[in-house]
Amino acid sequence: MSLKEQLQTAVLDFDENKVKSICKTSLDNKQATAVELLRMIGDVMKQVGDRFEKEEIFLPELIAAANTVKVTIDELLDPIIRESGVKKETKGVVVLGTVEGDIHSIGKDLVGSFLFANGFEVHNLGVDVAPEMFLEKAEEFGATIIGMSALLSISMDIQRKFIELLKREGKRDKFKVVVGGAPTSEDWAKNIGADGWADDAIGAVKLCLGLVS
Amino acid sequence: MKLPKLEIFSSDEIKEIHNASMQILEEIGINVEDPGLRISLNENGAIVADDSPYVKFPNDLVKEKLKLIPDSFVLHGRDGDFTAEVNTHSTQYATIGTPVRIYDPEHQRGVRKTVLTDTINQIRIVDSLKNIICSHVDVWPHDVPYLELHCHVIKAWAQNSTKPYGLGCFGRLPSQDMMDLLSIIVGGKNELITHPRLIGFFSITSPLSFSQLMTNGFEVFAKYKQPTILAPEALAGSTAPITLAGLLAQTNAEILAGAVLAQIYNPRAPVLYGTVSHITDMRTGNSAMGSVETGLITAGIAQLGRYYNIPSRGPGAVTDSKLLDMQNGFERYQTLMLAAQAGCNYITCAGSYEATLAEALELLVIDDELVSMIKHTMEGIEVNENTIGLEAIQRVVRSEKKGANFLDDKHTLTQMRTAHFLPALADRNRRTSWRKKGSKDIVQRAREKVNSILEIQRVPPLAPEKHQAIDAFMKKVSKRSYEYYKETEGMMDKKGTVTIDHVEISEDSQKK
Repeated sequence: MSLKEQLQTAVLDFDENKVKSICKTSLDNKQATAVELLRMIGDVMKQVGDRFEKEEIFLPELIAAANTVKVTIDELLDPIIRESGVKKETKGVVVLGTVEGDIHSIGKDLVGSFLFANGFEVHNLGVDVAPEMFLEKAEEFGATIIGMSALLSISMDIQRKFIELLKREGKRDKFKVVVGGAPTSEDWAKNIGADGWADDAIGAVKLCLGLVS
Repeated sequence: MKLPKLEIFSSDEIKEIHNASMQILEEIGINVEDPGLRISLNENGAIVADDSPYVKFPNDLVKEKLKLIPDSFVLHGRDGDFTAEVNTHSTQYATIGTPVRIYDPEHQRGVRKTVLTDTINQIRIVDSLKNIICSHVDVWPHDVPYLELHCHVIKAWAQNSTKPYGLGCFGRLPSQDMMDLLSIIVGGKNELITHPRLIGFFSITSPLSFSQLMTNGFEVFAKYKQPTILAPEALAGSTAPITLAGLLAQTNAEILAGAVLAQIYNPRAPVLYGTVSHITDMRTGNSAMGSVETGLITAGIAQLGRYYNIPSRGPGAVTDSKLLDMQNGFERYQTLMLAAQAGCNYITCAGSYEATLAEALELLVIDDELVSMIKHTMEGIEVNENTIGLEAIQRVVRSEKKGANFLDDKHTLTQMRTAHFLPALADRNRRTSWRKKGSKDIVQRAREKVNSILEIQRVPPLAPEKHQAIDAFMKKVSKRSYEYYKETEGMMDKKGTVTIDHVEISEDSQKK
């Protein structure tokens, strides 16, 4: 079984430890570099995403697969790549969160899993995230895209306030801002001057791919 | 636990209906046309009088013969590999009806007259569906002569299906042809008798009448032990009392008399305790098959079937709508669900609409999904340590992850494919995704499924020598005259046309 096939099996078994040990052994044996391993994991996740779209894989499996590889990437591969100074291959860096005053997380987490499965580096800030925190983390991680989720009509206004904050700080052109969530719409996104809107996770991937191309 | 069976009668009420039916059989009797059959019934203990067309069935005769009726039988597909047991405790789903029109959105009227190609397509779709175990000669092929029709459809079935098939007991001559053809196809008469392929349909004319044409055919089916549906279509208010209890008492007598007849023809011949009875709309005199009363009558029939320990048959997925509209949807689901909840053992009429006069292959695949949905519902809610999932609740709530949920918990992962029913045709997309996929309604999606089935469905070909034998047999049948048919069926004194299940039979119908 090739290294990639081994990784694929471990990912679909949701075996976090196995993924990590495969990667560790390959690094120790100099069978593959961290960059190569990350690329392989990316390919496996892309396949998982494709199979999800065909309804062969269900949503919980997609999320579980993303969670399975996350530890290995965060704890093993990313530190090596950072240290080596090599530029990490990614479609783009996304900082993602649910806006202040809102604790809904499922939709936003799905978008995160989908973006990750499609080759984006995703930093999920969680829920109840203040506009200032979005900006701080986006700068820290060198984000290309900031994704803001709002599930309440009273919290969606934070999306508008965040874009105003970026304008005030003179940083509006530094990031692409995308918004989503049940009460939002394409019109709303246009109104507040966001760079895009999608109503589901698959739409969010297409939107982000379009923004980074 | 599983959903309990719907019982619409108390045991006292069941006995009251039973007693009334026994009284009908003993005091009024059944109008039996065939003089030969009258003699045979008399020899077996029925009371026949020269001055009355009605043959009376003493209670003891009925009780004695009912004891012989099998409480289950197995239907086999063409090659014998496919089997479906019909019994008194499970439910099978099938087609039936005599649609003479088929849904065709391209046609000006939305429907057109059915032809043999439609019959074949219907057989092929049923062959591919998970839940529908048998197709009957539902879609009437107008482009073949009536007296050869049974041969054409059996040939079509043999070439296109691995499931059992159904046909009406339309006369002695055609029924014998069916058995002869089937024997060629399955490899002999004995094989056919021991492993039945065909399910018969004995139409009883309400009130209380057996036509000679039907009893002629029924005898052949019973002799070959092909299970036969006893199928009165009594209409409350016109061919039966307006009250449903009255209809059931009458129709119960009709069914029991049919069951007795089968046992006289051939002891232990399998039958289905059936009905397709419904009501007459008193405003117009039209029959109302999609009515709520159809479901109630079917529920009553299912309970009576259990009382006699005979598998029951009732209609489900029936509607009076002329369109694939909301009325069609709610009437078909309502009748199907009631029949299933009542524990009816053989539920028919999938794919039909307009009181089974019209067929839509789209509805056939939709009905298959409805059946899956109903089967899932009937399983109820299972309660045990695993299904309560206390550990999962603890894991998620105590998770350090803010906003943790059940989506990626192992309790979900291990059961997500079985815990819920996942429809293939019903749409659950959000509006944007649905729009991107073409804003299709369920009929369009069902059409796509029909087309994809028709593209890929194939069955192992029949042996060439069987083909030759079928063709030679059909050649022989095609040479028969209408007069010969009438003579064989004892219909020489009948003038003009005969109507069987909405189809008019005459010398003209012999012409292609």
